[in-house]
Amino acid sequence: MARDRAQGNEYKGPLRRLLLGILIVCLLGVFLLWRVDSPRVERFRAQVVDRVVPNFDWAMAPVTGTINIARDFQSYQRIYQQNQELRRELQQMKAWKEAALQLEQENARLLDLNNVRLDPRLTYVTGVVMADSGSPFRQSVIVNIGLRDGIVDGWAAMDGLGLVGRISGVGENTSRVILLTDTSSRIPVTIQPSGQRALIVGDNTSAPPIDFLEDKAQVRPGDRVITSGDGGIFPAGLLAGQVALDPGGRFRLRLAADYERLEFLRVLREYGRPGIDTPGSLIAPPEGTPAPAQSGSRPATVTGEATNG
Amino acid sequence: MAERSTLKLWLMRAFFVSLCAALMFWRLLPLNTLPDGLAGPDLMVALAFAWVLRRPEYAPPLLVALIFLVADLLFQRPPGLWAALVVMGCEALKTRAPGLRDMGFLPEWLSAAATMTAIWLLFRIVLGLLFVPQAPLGLSLMQLAFTILVYPVIVLISSALFGVRKIRPGDAESLGVRI
Repeated sequence: MARDRAQGNEYKGPLRRLLLGILIVCLLGVFLLWRVDSPRVERFRAQVVDRVVPNFDWAMAPVTGTINIARDFQSYQRIYQQNQELRRELQQMKAWKEAALQLEQENARLLDLNNVRLDPRLTYVTGVVMADSGSPFRQSVIVNIGLRDGIVDGWAAMDGLGLVGRISGVGENTSRVILLTDTSSRIPVTIQPSGQRALIVGDNTSAPPIDFLEDKAQVRPGDRVITSGDGGIFPAGLLAGQVALDPGGRFRLRLAADYERLEFLRVLREYGRPGIDTPGSLIAPPEGTPAPAQSGSRPATVTGEATNG
Repeated sequence: MAERSTLKLWLMRAFFVSLCAALMFWRLLPLNTLPDGLAGPDLMVALAFAWVLRRPEYAPPLLVALIFLVADLLFQRPPGLWAALVVMGCEALKTRAPGLRDMGFLPEWLSAAATMTAIWLLFRIVLGLLFVPQAPLGLSLMQLAFTILVYPVIVLISSALFGVRKIRPGDAESLGVRI
């Protein structure tokens, strides 16, 4: 009896059904709005994240810290092996240190010869990682710097060593970094020393594949991968990682950044480069000057553009 | 008596919200930034289904919709679609709840699993129709399977620890409340 009454009131009220319908239509409306006008809704999402995540921060830092301490404690069980590994690595590092010192001196000399001015505008803001994407399907982190610190969509984020990702979604106090491993990440790169251009295509694995290579024969595992700056997406020359060959014969990127411990990220400020709008003036000689003689000697006007070779 | 049960109702609703907030908090912790081809269960869906089948008044549709909409926004899902599907799933289960009430756990588990499968499939189909880039199929299926497997555990915890049980004929307490 009691049960019947409860059902009757609960499930058969037309008003209730109507309200439920409105609710579902509203939710689907939000979804369609997102599909039609994604940037606006994404901006709203950034604002929601900006409002919600800093509230969790007081608890997030200690909980994360505690769990990491527990994990570190587990790793003490393997301390002997680790010690051996570290010694071995130290030996290798000493050799590399020698090589690096020599290269540094050589580089300093070459730079001096070239009289290169490094781009003074390439400064960075460092932020702390507050949260990750919370989903196994998306690879992103939220850092605690945002509009307040002058962050702009599209800037590059690095850890101390290598490229980590790209800013996408900026709130007042927080911003989201889409990692190179995310399925929506596409980064144009150059592979050194062969100079091949390629794209790093994130596919939700820890080693994203290197795609759109022109000539695979020129690329070897171990080659360095740096950003190419194509399309004005990133400044050129940021280290992304090394080429690795997977068992399927496909080239993948072994990331230089330490993705297991993303704690601090540097976001590089970049205010874009001047575009080249007038095609004619670069090619044609200025009016009134005679055309250069066909003797093969180069004009002396290109000396200002020294590269850092 | 009525006031006490009203108080309890609102307390349990607040508790539902805080449980979901805790689950979101846990998933947002920056513990694992490396992709590991594993997708854990969607505990929030299991929790919502378990509570809706036991005490629908503790998890009203509006509350479920709001919680899942916020989750959509935080977890970078397409906002609104997943929330709408979960609300629809809850309602579908609610209409089946009177028949399941006296039948033991297995039929309930089966119908919850069927509902989950349906909303997972619908989610992928809608995203596919609208050409939204989606997660790999394997990961989605893994998440679905884990969610179905974890459902009994959520039910056990909800009923044993939080006292969210099915209404029995002797329970007069919850019947005085109509909101």
